[in-house]
Amino acid sequence: MFFLRTLSHTINLHPSYFGPHMREFLMRNLHADVEGTCSGRIGFIISVLNITNISPGKVLPNSGLAEFIVQYQAIVFKPYKGEVVDAIVTSVNQIGFFADVGPLQVFVAQKLMPNDFKFDSNGPCYRGDDQTIEKNGQVRLKIVGLKHQATQINAVGTIKEDYLGQIQ
Amino acid sequence: MSDYDDNDHWDQSDEEEVDDFRLTENAEDEFSSKMIDKFGSEYVPAVSKTAPKAVPKEERTTTPYMTKYERARILGARALQLSMNAPVLVDLEGETDALEIAMKELNQKKIPLVIRRNLPNNTYEDWEVSEMILP
Repeated sequence: MFFLRTLSHTINLHPSYFGPHMREFLMRNLHADVEGTCSGRIGFIISVLNITNISPGKVLPNSGLAEFIVQYQAIVFKPYKGEVVDAIVTSVNQIGFFADVGPLQVFVAQKLMPNDFKFDSNGPCYRGDDQTIEKNGQVRLKIVGLKHQATQINAVGTIKEDYLGQIQ
Repeated sequence: MSDYDDNDHWDQSDEEEVDDFRLTENAEDEFSSKMIDKFGSEYVPAVSKTAPKAVPKEERTTTPYMTKYERARILGARALQLSMNAPVLVDLEGETDALEIAMKELNQKKIPLVIRRNLPNNTYEDWEVSEMILP
């Protein structure tokens, strides 16, 4: 699910960026630091919408850098157990297949596919009675398991339910 | 470039604050714990029970004279910034030494720093270098 969240980020600014354009440097730094990152706690930070507050800088002793705490609003993608998502298949092998939901990689094991699905090494792909799952194909899957790590999230999905599977 | 053009219109809100020299060690601890915390972006800093409060500008009671310790700290911090390519806020007459330039900036009250004087009653006063009387 996507959320609009208020987050904060600490930026240490080098003295060569001091001056009238400091705010722009901070904004550029924030976008570069934060966009596209992932953490188990908040999920994937997709995009910074606006900056709500930049604290007055604080001179760090001995280093000459200035520390700013920037509060900003960002769009965050956080997957949940039981969530149904559309994904693009990235690789297929005999154990199952991997699919990407934007930045999130989901693995669907063969056990979690309908019983009629068989692995076909020509392709490679999975063939069911009326659908095939192959690389770059679109699938609709349900997230059944999530593993939140410090800097990444792994997910396990299933297509063994009604209305899940290949999207025509 | 444009960084150096309108140095005189230094934005007040862009100023940095300097901890009182007595709290240097304290500040360093805070700094290192922040460095370890690689995912700083996900924690909104909690306001601890003992967070110091600011004294409003009109109610400040400490001396407007800059102490010699504050002067040393300010000159050191500013000279370090200048040595790291911070824009110079005064016209130079051939000076190349960062400390010399810092002293010149201080004499012309152009140093864009704020001194935070932490007081024993858990409050602090912020004094801009530009409004202080030099020792």
